[in-house]
Order: sequence, then structure tokens, then C-alpha cells
Amino acid sequence: MDINLIQTQINSDLAAVTTIVALEEVRVKYLGRKGLLADLTGSIPTLPVEQRGSFGKEVNALKNMVSNLISEKELTLKNNAALGKKENLDVGMPGIAQELGSIHPITQIIDEICAIFNRIGFSVVAGPEIETEYNNFTGLNIPLEHPSRDAFDTFYLKKYSKLLLRSHTSPVQVRAMKKHKPPLAIIVPGRVYRPDAVDASHLFMFHQIEGFMVDENIQFSDLKGVLEFFAKSVFGTEIKMRFRPHFFPFTEPSAEVDISCIICKGKGCSVCGRKGWLEILGAGMIHPNVFKHVGYDPKKYTGFAFGMGVERIAMLKYGINDIRLFFENDLRFLKQF
Amino acid sequence: MKVTYSWLKDFVDLKITPHQLADKLTMAGLEVVSLEESGQDFVFEIEITSNRSDWLSVLGIAREVGAICGLKPKVIKQKETKAKIKDVLPLKILVEDKKDCPYYSARIISNIKVGPSPDWLKKRLESLGCRSVNNIVDITNYILFETGQPLHAFDLDVLGVNVVNIRRAKNNEKIVTIDGQEKILTPEVLVIADLHQPVAVAGIMGGKNSEVTFKTRNILLESAVFNPILVRRAKQKLGLQSESAYRFERGVDLTTAQSASLAAQELILKLASGKLCGFKSVGTSKQSLCVINLEIAAVHKTLGVNISLVKIKQILISLGLSVKVKSKKALTVTVPSFRQDLKLPVDLIEEIARIYGYAQIPTTMPAIRPGEDIVDKKNITAQVKNILSGLGMAEVITYSLVDRALLNKAGVACQEGLLEILNPLSLEQEVLRPALFPSLVRCLAYNLNQQQENIKIFEIADVFSDQGGSVQERPCLALALSGVNSFLIRQGLVKDEVTLLHLKGILEILFSRLGIKNFDFSRYDDNRINIIINSEVVGFMLELSQKITQIFDIKNRQVILAQVDLQKLSSHVNLGKKFLNLPKFPSITRDISFVMKNDLAIKDLLLAIEEKGAPLLRQAKVADYYQGKQIPPGFKGLTISCIYRQDERTLTEDEISPLHNQICALLKERFEINFR
Repeated sequence: MDINLIQTQINSDLAAVTTIVALEEVRVKYLGRKGLLADLTGSIPTLPVEQRGSFGKEVNALKNMVSNLISEKELTLKNNAALGKKENLDVGMPGIAQELGSIHPITQIIDEICAIFNRIGFSVVAGPEIETEYNNFTGLNIPLEHPSRDAFDTFYLKKYSKLLLRSHTSPVQVRAMKKHKPPLAIIVPGRVYRPDAVDASHLFMFHQIEGFMVDENIQFSDLKGVLEFFAKSVFGTEIKMRFRPHFFPFTEPSAEVDISCIICKGKGCSVCGRKGWLEILGAGMIHPNVFKHVGYDPKKYTGFAFGMGVERIAMLKYGINDIRLFFENDLRFLKQF
Repeated sequence: MKVTYSWLKDFVDLKITPHQLADKLTMAGLEVVSLEESGQDFVFEIEITSNRSDWLSVLGIAREVGAICGLKPKVIKQKETKAKIKDVLPLKILVEDKKDCPYYSARIISNIKVGPSPDWLKKRLESLGCRSVNNIVDITNYILFETGQPLHAFDLDVLGVNVVNIRRAKNNEKIVTIDGQEKILTPEVLVIADLHQPVAVAGIMGGKNSEVTFKTRNILLESAVFNPILVRRAKQKLGLQSESAYRFERGVDLTTAQSASLAAQELILKLASGKLCGFKSVGTSKQSLCVINLEIAAVHKTLGVNISLVKIKQILISLGLSVKVKSKKALTVTVPSFRQDLKLPVDLIEEIARIYGYAQIPTTMPAIRPGEDIVDKKNITAQVKNILSGLGMAEVITYSLVDRALLNKAGVACQEGLLEILNPLSLEQEVLRPALFPSLVRCLAYNLNQQQENIKIFEIADVFSDQGGSVQERPCLALALSGVNSFLIRQGLVKDEVTLLHLKGILEILFSRLGIKNFDFSRYDDNRINIIINSEVVGFMLELSQKITQIFDIKNRQVILAQVDLQKLSSHVNLGKKFLNLPKFPSITRDISFVMKNDLAIKDLLLAIEEKGAPLLRQAKVADYYQGKQIPPGFKGLTISCIYRQDERTLTEDEISPLHNQICALLKERFEINFR
């Protein structure tokens, strides 16, 4: 066999090899004591003297090439074996891992919202769920006997006539402002309670997030800016926002804030009641009377406050249609988040 | 509040469509919740905020529409007419307390013809959802909707003598109201009475006996101002609701009380003939008006937008306020009596912003100054939730209000120290829970019922108790496990039913991650194991007895739970981390396999090994555990791994062997173990 023929044949022989055993056979065939290359070497003395030198060099080069090719093939085969190809694993088998738990969707929304406000300098603060009538109402400029209180039906404690379960997170405004001097930028998540009849959108316990900021030059335009930053962070930059005048006893001017419906993009659908807008929070400039109650000078300081229902935000964001699901705690529900 | 497009057009010359108007109203704070076509007309349903009693009338909304659309509402001129002297009938109004009723007026109209109302009147009332009764009642309702002033017409002949007495009801006095219900009254309730008995609950509802019927010939027409709080209390106490009470509790306007009465009289004379036989009023006839000094700079300071003095003045005037320019920097604003909600400069600023348009106010970002550091650094809630969810636990949120029965079922002693709710809507809201775990057990039972096999849940929430004179609210963590964890490994299916050790393992990791070193689990009694950190009991864990699991309808499943006082836990937390050098030299591990009596504690054994082996012995840990065929009853088989290491050099077998033998000897002697 001549040199050229061996050069082409070694490649096709190696391509057919899939096991170490077969490779050994190829090695013997070419490089063995009685192999093809040994034959060539053996044929050197039969050549004319002037050809022997150059032929010998060519045979040596061929020997090196074959030897390299076989080593390479050997490496590849061993690598494949290490990768488990030898065992023929069925990758359709389920993976083996520790199961992960879950964080309640309400907590996730609270964390997401608090993180957004953290980014712009708000601190997260908590307050008790049992509150005084003063902090829940009077301190917030809500008269005890006025129809404006109808929006805040409240659970009272039996043995303590002045104590109640907070019906909103706003009393933390009073607590925080009494404790600290401005500037203040605070966000308060928490449970609130109202004796509402239970249905798909009402419960006697739910969560709110309250935010407020007080300093020397806080303006309504700042409230708009902060809430727009918030809403776009939660619902996406493409949403539109509008502020409607409203009434809350503890803010003046007051507003209700709508975002363009995230389902129909403002065209009108069943989720937004064909209005194209979804109400997501209430807000306003803190009423001077609230400042008076906590001992701030309303001439020196201004501030804004806002509050939102966490369940509502979560329902909109995740497309949940019944508020009761949050508290049923069905694992098949919880594990979706 | 409902209002129709055509009725508004009586007062303002509207050029925009009903839909355009609805949008404008909504954006001015009168949220139109529905707009419906009704015949040739449109009915707006508007949600009126509780501060704007003036919007509870067609006139009030028309005034607002004028301001929004830049139109001037029509003014209706009225002139009081006097009864002819020969017609005048005697009339006496007695007001017991002026505070209860600052103003009361009555007109006597005689010889009226009560009959059905003309169609236009019926239609207008019906479009607002008000049923037509007869012309007199319809007129009082019509004026109520148009002006916002509730009126009431009594059948004068039923009253007997022409005396009305505005007084508090006597205890146990009774009245049958127009809706046919008998109400028992108390002195908290203000009534209109004749000489003998109440004929109306003031400001709320008239009495059945004195109502105007088709037989009525002579009427007494009442227009008054009652104390809003009194009306509100009486309404709540008697469980009565009416258009009249709705307006009185929000406060009515004295001026309107006067003009509405006159307007009603004119309409009665027109539609039911009759003649005026007397008019009398008692109480305040003029209201003092509020004057507010508004600095232009304050408008900018609050809103963040420069609105010119001229524009501000124009807006305030369009709302019916009188404005005097005091200087280039300030206005003096006199508030009309129908706007009792306007008291402070900031109230005017809201009005300016409303009409100017919230949308026109720019959007800015405040320069937030950090201020005092007020974040509660002790709050570990987020870390705990994070660690537990990483360990396969699902966070749940359950109600803080529970029923006593749930606590009883879970075996929580709840005779004393429970905080009860005064006004629960149902038994499920009876008390504030003193413990979290009963709710978690219920949650477990629910999920087992949903065919869930492996349930691991936790909750962080406050628990509540009555400390006798004060209330206590403390943050708490509860965990509950139940079911079988089955996992498929290469050797096949492994099923592992949860035990106390699973929960212990979770707590151990939790505590370690929180930097707590010195924690311990110690049996308190047959049932309960205390969780102890730095010698303080911070909580407990237990396996729920079968008796209790059965009550919760949990079958063939163990329930393991724990509850930890989060405040106590957080006091032991140490999140400051310090790096320890990694070992440079290898360790040597020697195992000891043996059998020991079941009632001996592994903890004591490990302590003894560590004490004896220090300092070369770095750790002694349970490497294997078995009970079963090869082990005699009453005994347990254990393998303990002893790990020896030196920081400065590699240990030799010769160094360890004597020490290890000593440890083995000690175990044999003190714990009577048998080597295997």
C-alpha cells in the first residue's frame, strides 16, 4: 500500500470507530509490529539508495500523523464516556431537587412596592393593628360624628371603648409624625380591618400601603411625580395616569388616582367597567389640621400622603378575580406566585 | 345623587353633549358612575363626596357645571308674598332647644286640591327613581332634588291645633313612620310633635298619621335646619334612611331653607290651588359668612404651578364666591352660606386646582432628604420569610379575627385574656387570635382535603391578648407541617412522612442563618418541646394529638407545628458576620458504631464526647441511626462520627488513637453502650 492510500484510509477507518476496543484494532492495523506502516518501513531497503532518504522521511511523517489522529480519537472517546453517554441516561426522567417554598403574593406585592419607594428614599415603617380612636380618626381630621366616617366602618374592642382595629394604615402618619421631625418620607404596609360583608371583592381584613412625605417645600406636583414613578414601575411605562379631585378628611387638595386599564389599554372592558380607567389609590396634600394634631407648623411644612389597597393591586397585576383566594391559602394558588 | 341633562339645562345653557359633560364632571370631582339614556333625556348618577352637601341638588350641580364650562347659571328671583289678613290662621312654633333646631319655618296653605301630579313632574321624579305619590308630596320631593332642602308637608287637620313643638322624644314614646314601621323613641331623637304626640322624626321621616293623602285639605309646610349630628344619631339608632336624612346629616343651607320653602309654596298654589294662610319662622334668619384671606404665593407653594391672580379670581367667582383683591399678593374671599366646607386657604386652593384642572398641574420629583433614620433594624420578618421559603415552606396569610370555636378545637385555653370584638358581623370575627397555629391547622386541613400530599406552611402575624387593663400585640411566627414528602431518586421512590425532626431541622437552619448559636430543644412535657435560645424560652413545637387532628377532620396524617415569639427571637439575632480562616490541614474522621438504651439522650452523649475530645476533636455528629430487627427492643443503634483536626499541622493516627480510645471507654462506662 502506498503512502497516499494510507493517508486517505486512516481517516475513514477512524470515522467508523466508536469504542476504545475498535480504536485499538485500528492502532494495531497501522502502527502494530506487523502493521501497514511497519510494512512501509520494511520496504525501505528494497528501494534505490538515492530514494531511501526522502521516502524514510515521508514514512516517519505519516507515522506521526497516524499516531496523532489515534490519540485524538482516544481522547474524544474517553470524554464522551465521562459525559455519561456510555450509560444511555433517559433525560426524560424527572430531575432530582429539593422543592422550593413560596412567598405569599400579597407579601410579594408589598415587597415590590416598598422596594420601588425605597429606591427614591422612602423608609418602611410599621404600626400596630390595635389603634386608638384618636389616631384612627380624630388625629386625621375625621370627625367622629360625620358622614365622612361612613367610609371607615370600624371594628371596636369590647372592653376598651377607645380602642379599635385600624380601618386604614393612615394612623401610622400620626404616630410617625409625633415621633419624628421632618423631613420624613415613609411607607407603611399592613393589615387593616373593616366590618364589610364578604364577597368576591370585599373582606373584613385586607392590606393597605400608606405613604407620606413631609418637608418644607412639598407640592402637589411632587405627589403627581412620585405616584407616576410608582405606577409606571408597577404596571409598566406605557400606562397613562389621571388624578381626579376627591374628598378625604385628612388631605386637601385630595385626589383619586386612576391608571389606564391594563387589560384593555383604555378601550373599555369588563374589568374597568367600560370606563377604560382603573382606580388604584387615594392621595392628597396632608391637611393642615393633621399637622396641628401632631405639632407640626402648617405654615412651615407641607406634605403629601397616599394610600392603596394591596389586594386590589395584586388582583389587577395577576388577573385574580376573587379576593377570598388570598386568604384561602390553597397551595395550588400560592405556588403560582 | 341622580340628575338629568334636561333639568340641568333649566339652569345652564349647556352646549356640550351629555357624554362630554360626564367626563368634565368626573374630572372635577363629581364622579359620574353611570350615564343612561332615558327617553329624550339622559340620567347622570354622580357619586357625591361627603363634604359637598351643596352638590346634593340640581341647582348645586348646575352651579358647578357653570364653573367648569364657563357658563353663568340662571338666577331665579323670588319674592315673599304675605297672606291676606282675613285668611291668617293662628300658628305657634315651639323650639325646645335652638341647638337642636337653629331654624324652623312653617307655612299654612289651605283649601288645596290633592291629586295626581302633572306628567312633567311625575317624569322628572321618576327619572331620578322617585315614585310619584300625589301633587303635594311630589312638590316637596321636587324642591328637595332641585334645591337640596328637605321639606315636609303635614296634614294640618290631623295636627288638631296649629301648634308644632320641636322637642326631644320622651322615653318609650312611639311613632309609626310613613313607611309603616313603628319606632320606639328615646330622648336622643328629635321629633316634631303636636300637643299630644310626635308627628315626625325631625329631618328623617314624617309620621303615618299626619301624611298628606288625597283627602287632605289643609297643610303645614315645614322647612327647617336641624342639627346634623342629631339627625345622624337618630337615623343610626332607628335604622331609618331617607333622602331628607341624607342631606340633613351633611348639613343644609339656611338661605336655601328659606328660598326652597317659598319655591314649594309657589308650585303648590300653581298645581294644587289653595291659598297661603300664614307663615312663621323661628330661629336664626341670617348666617354669618366665613371670610378667608388667600395669599397667591400659597397657591403656588401647595400646587407647584403658577396660576395668575386674575385666573384665580375668575375661578373663585365662577364657583359663587365673592372675591376682593386686597393687594397684588392676596385676595379676600367671602364664602357663601351654601359652601360650609370652605374654611381654610387650602380649601380654596383645592377649588382652584379642581377648576384649573389637576391634569394641568405639572409632574415633578421632590428632592427627598433622608431625614432621621427611622427604619426598625430589629425587624427580621423579611429574612425569616426568605429563609423559610428557601427551605420549602409556603407563606400563608390567615385572618387575625377568629371564632372561639376554632381556638377551642385547637386546644387553646381561651377563658381569659381574649380580646373580643364589640361589633362582629359574624362569629368568624368574634375575637382577636391569641395564637397563630389554630389558623394554620385549619389551613392544613383545607389543603389535605384538596388532595395535597406534602404541606409545609408558615405565617408571620401579630397575636393579641388582654393583659387586664391593657392590650398586647406581639409579632409571632408559626410553622406547620403535615403529609408525606415523596421524592424520586435514582434508587427509586422514597417516602418520608414528616416528624418533629423535620421541623427541628427547619428551625435549626433558620436560627443558624440568623446568627443564633446557642439554641436548644428541650422536652417540656409529653406533648410539648420548648424552643430555647440563650436560656430563654422563645416558643414551642409539638405534634398535634390525634384527638385534635380528628376534630379538624385530618385523617391518617400527623400534624407537626411550632410557634415562636418573633420579638423574643429577634432580640437574639446577630447578623454581624465574621470570617473564620479555612482549615489548612486535613481532618481525620473516626466512626463509633454502637447500641444504646432508648431512654438515654443523644444530646448528653454528644456533649460528653465533645468535652472529652477537646481541643483536637472539632465535631461529633450523628452519622447514622437505626432501630429494627438487628437491634434489641428498648435500644437504638447509632454511628457517631468524630472529626479530629489541628490548625497548625496534619494530625497523625498515633496522636488520635489514644484519645479516641478514651472517648470510647468513656461512652462504655457512662452510657453503657455496646459496640457493634
